[in-house]
Parts: sequence; structure tokens; C-alpha cells
Amino acid sequence: MKILVCLKQVPHQDARLDIDGAGTWIKEDGIKFEINSYDTFALEEALRIKDAGEAEVVVVSIGPDRVTQALRTALGMGADRAVHVKDTEIDGSDALVISKLLAAVGKEESPDLVLMGLMSDDGNTAAVAPMLAELMGIPSATAVMSVEASGDGYKVERELEGGALEVVELPKPCLIAVQSGLNQVRYASLKGIMAAKKKPIDVKGAGDLGLAGNVGAGAAKTHIEKIFAPVKGEGAEIVEGSTDEVVTQLVAKIKELGLL
Amino acid sequence: MGNILIVTELKDGAIREASYELVSFAQKIGGDIKSLVIGSGVAGEAESFAKKGGGTVYVADDASLANYNVDGYAAAIRAGIDASGADVVLISNTPSGWDVAPRIAAALDVAFVSDAFDFQDGAYIRRIFNGKLDARVKVEGDKAIVSVQPGALAAFDGSSEGSTEALTVDTSGARAKFIEVKVAESKGVDLTKASVIVSGGRGVGDPEKFTEVIQPLADALGGAMGASRPVVDAGWLPHQYQVGSSGQVVTPKLYIACGISGAIQHLVGMKGSNFIIAINKDPDAPIFEVAQLGVVADLFEIVPALTAAVAAAKG
Ligand SMILES: Cc1cc2nc3c(=O)[nH]c(=O)nc-3n(C[C@H](O)[C@H](O)[C@H](O)COP(=O)(O)OP(=O)(O)OC[C@H]3O[C@@H](n4cnc5c(N)ncnc54)[C@H](O)[C@@H]3O)c2cc1C
Repeated sequence: MKILVCLKQVPHQDARLDIDGAGTWIKEDGIKFEINSYDTFALEEALRIKDAGEAEVVVVSIGPDRVTQALRTALGMGADRAVHVKDTEIDGSDALVISKLLAAVGKEESPDLVLMGLMSDDGNTAAVAPMLAELMGIPSATAVMSVEASGDGYKVERELEGGALEVVELPKPCLIAVQSGLNQVRYASLKGIMAAKKKPIDVKGAGDLGLAGNVGAGAAKTHIEKIFAPVKGEGAEIVEGSTDEVVTQLVAKIKELGLL
Repeated sequence: MGNILIVTELKDGAIREASYELVSFAQKIGGDIKSLVIGSGVAGEAESFAKKGGGTVYVADDASLANYNVDGYAAAIRAGIDASGADVVLISNTPSGWDVAPRIAAALDVAFVSDAFDFQDGAYIRRIFNGKLDARVKVEGDKAIVSVQPGALAAFDGSSEGSTEALTVDTSGARAKFIEVKVAESKGVDLTKASVIVSGGRGVGDPEKFTEVIQPLADALGGAMGASRPVVDAGWLPHQYQVGSSGQVVTPKLYIACGISGAIQHLVGMKGSNFIIAINKDPDAPIFEVAQLGVVADLFEIVPALTAAVAAAKG
């Protein structure tokens, strides 16, 4: 049994988001990065399957040198080995190009199960999981809130609106993109972090995956032309002053609403 | 702009409001509009959609399509694209929409734009970083699969000429198997009945602070406590406290959001409140766009002081 977990390293959720000189992405210099929150739940789910039986957990991530840190964290949490897809040519790739790179890794690894997050906290496209499944020719389910082994595959619960759940069965091999909150994510233990130092990280370029010349902005079918602060409407009336002054105004409002 | 195919979605046997919003979106892009209705026993709905902006409506009507299934629906959408000769395919960004749409783009090797909320000057506009920034996305060439944020545009409510055409779909290759839908059970806290809700987000920081800071204000106001999703995901509070698209949709007289940024999935759950106060230390937090009163400050300064002042005002 082999599980491939796809991880993305993204700007920390509390990082300052300043727009870069070209106006097409944020300034990445000097900000903290972390494993995409949705992906941490996917990794945890893989490690639970591993803990419950026999499984090899392989993590893969695409990105520059800084991604090594995310992979080390994943190895520290209990993943067995890592694949780091690193190539400056990849810059400017869209979700479809990223999916093609991951599909090439998927072909080399031929996992029984691919686990990943529903979407990334930066791009928010939620596109890579279904695309990767399509390119690997396997069934998939997204926004998954529970995973249970069933027959020759998995029975999963997909989250619908308002908290309803859709129960779906997928035969192996398959891809499951998890929703946040399906488990409580572990921390890497000190022992785990020490052990991770000896675990292998295999670095591959686009050429190693048979995609030389077919990645990056030139291969992308979508381009971000510009990013900008959301257009503001009228917005809230901002209450200013000392804490006492602010609170006095809030209480006056609550009274006016007839709630006090 | 060529042909646009609207992929409609049914809920409880009727075409959803979001599908009529796709008509408005298609009109904004401009082009010849055609539509697709997928389901079982859906001829009547297809007829009526054809007269309400859907144009030529292809009907994939099959017992195997009665419930959503990624493989069956992907087959139906691809058949619809072939039949319509569509360049642009619009689909609502709902749990089934986001599950299937990217697969179609990958299968056809065409552009995919996710969760667009507008189309301006030849580009799609969408939120990134959970609502903190927006992006203008351009597509290479004419072909694209686009998922559209529900609620972004007003639903088309005019009438039009239109007709239906049956579409045969081969769903025999489906691997994913639909078993059932479990409806959300409401247990414990029913936030929809509270007249005041004090909600805390990730900014509250830890579970103890909910007991020490958020709950006392809710109690002082005779209201209930609510939360954003990360709070529930982290196990700080049970799911019944969650407000938003995957939690409860609430409309209290007063909603006080503390340390909540205002992602769209949270906003859809509370923006219908009669009055909204937001307390957040980030002046650019999107929550201030839906609030009537805002306080840009540390919630740990404001909330305890407000709790004391409310208690004092009650005498
Ligand atoms: C399919 C789907 C369904 C979802 N359903 C829901 C849902 O039902 N409900 C929901 O809420 N979310 C939902 N989400 C998640 C949503 O996208 C956001 O991730 C979430 O709402 C963010 O929660 P938050 O505002 O608490 O956290 P953040 O976005 O991290 O915001 C925390 C805020 O706290 C502020 N802050 C920090 N410290 C302080 C302080 N001391 N004082 C004042 N302010 C402070 C920060 O400035 C920041 O604005 C869903 C997502 C998906 C993809």
C-alpha cells in the first residue's frame, strides 16, 4: 500500500500580503511560509492509515528551495520519503501545468491512494486535485470529511452546503481531496524531527519528469494579469478613540437597537 | 465570443438560483448561450430553463444521473460540450461544481478559471488568499471552463426563446459510486433562533479564550456564541457553533464578529444579520465591508471592556 500526499507550501496565514513590483503576485521576501492548511489534514489522514496498518507515505511538493522545510516537517510528522519538484522553469505555471507535473510523479510512484487538500490558502483554485485525478485516470472526491476503508477502496463523506454529507464509494487507486477539520493534525515530535534528517528527499526537475519545455508561463493557459486589494464599498463606520470611548459608543448602539 | 454552455444544477428537483446567475454571467461575457440540464426526470425543468435565458437546452436525462456522481456528470458535461460546440463552459462553484469542473478542463486540456465572481474587460475576476486580495485572470485562446461564485451576480429573471434537445450519455464507465446524502442534524445550539450572536474566529487564538472572553459577552447580551470554521476545525468548539456556508446561516438582530477576517464562506452565513459589529486588528479585513460598525483594535482590549460596560448598563 502506497499513499502519495501532495503538499503545497504557502505564505503563512498571518503573513503580511504586499503586492510585488510587477503587480501579479505578493512579495515573498521576508515572509514566513507554512504547509497549506488543507494539506496538513491530508497528511494527517495518510499517517493515520499508515499507523493503522501497512503503508508507505510519500510526500511530494513543487516549489523553490524553501519547500525543503515543508517536506522536512512532513517527514518529521511521519512521512517516509519526499519528492521535491524544483525547477526555475516552473515559475508562472497554472494549476493545469502543476497537475501535469504531479501526474508525472504519480506515474512514477503509482500509488494506491493520493491524498491532498481541497485547495490552497493562496491561489484558492481548488483545481489541482480533480485535474490530477483526471490526468492519472483515477476516480476522485473533493471536500472529504471522513475516509473509511471499504471493500477494494474507500467510502468517503463529501461535505455539501449547510453541513450535509454525501457518501461516495471509490475503488482503488483513487484520489481524495480533504476538507479542513476532518481530523486533528499531529505535531512533529522531537524524535520524528531527528529521524527525518535521515529520510530521503528526491529532487527532480521538469526534464526528469518528461516535461522539459512544457512548463511555466509559456505552457500555462491562464495568467494572472494583476492582483489588487478588493474594491471597497461603503464599508463599516469605524469607531475610533480610547477603549472607553469605543465601548461607550458600542453600548449606545446596542441600546439603540433595543438589545439592552 | 462564440458559444457559451451553462451547466445547470438541480436541488430538490428544481434548477437552482445559482444557475440563473450563470445566465447573467454568460450575458456579461457575451455570446450565443446554450445550456445543459443533468438529472433524472428533468424534462420539465429543462423546458422552463429554455424559456428563462437558457437558450438551446441539452437534456441529459438518465436514471444513473439522478444523484451527483463525478464520473457520470463529467461524461454528461463532455457530451454537452460536444453537442453545443461550446468555447466557454460556465458552472457554479458548488460542492458538485468544484468536484467535476477541473476534471473537464484537464481532460480537454483547456484553461480553467476557478470561482470567478465577475468578468471585466476580457478578464475574469476572482478572490485569492481567502478573500484578502483579488486577481484578474486572463485566458489564453478562446476555450475555458469557468466556475462561478454563487451569489456573485443577480439571477437572470427575464424570459427568452429557447428549446430543448435530448442528449444521450454513456455513464457505464463510472467508478465513483453515490451511496446517499446525510442531512445535517441540528443538535445542541440552534443559532438561527438567537437574537444576538457573538462570534469568535481564529484571531481568538485558543479554546480557553472562548470561555474567558467571547462567551461572557454573549451571556451579558443574553445571546449565543458562534464561531468561524477554523475554530471548529481545530476542535476548540463543536460544529454546531459554526456560522457559514458549511455551518449555520444566521440572521440575528446583532452579530458581533471578533477576530474573524470575513472570508466569503463565513459572510454568506451572517451577512443577512440586522446589524453587524466587527472587531479586528487588521483595518483591511473584508469583514468591515459587511459590518455597519467597525473597531480596528485588539479584541482582547475591546471585548472584556464591552462585556463590563454591558453588565454595568444593565445595572
Ligand atoms: C468549502 C468551504 C466551506 C467553508 N465553510 C466555512 C464556514 O461555514 N464558516 C467559516 O467561517 N468558514 C468557512 N470556510 C473557511 C473560510 O474560507 C475561511 O478560511 C475562514 O472563514 C477563516 O476564519 P477566520 O476569519 O476565523 O480566520 P482568519 O481568516 O485567519 O482571520 C483571523 C482574523 O483575526 C484577526 N485577529 C487576529 N488576532 C486578533 C486580535 N487579537 N484582535 C482582533 N483581531 C485579531 C486577524 O486580523 C484576521 O483578520 C470554508 C471554506 C471552504 C473552502
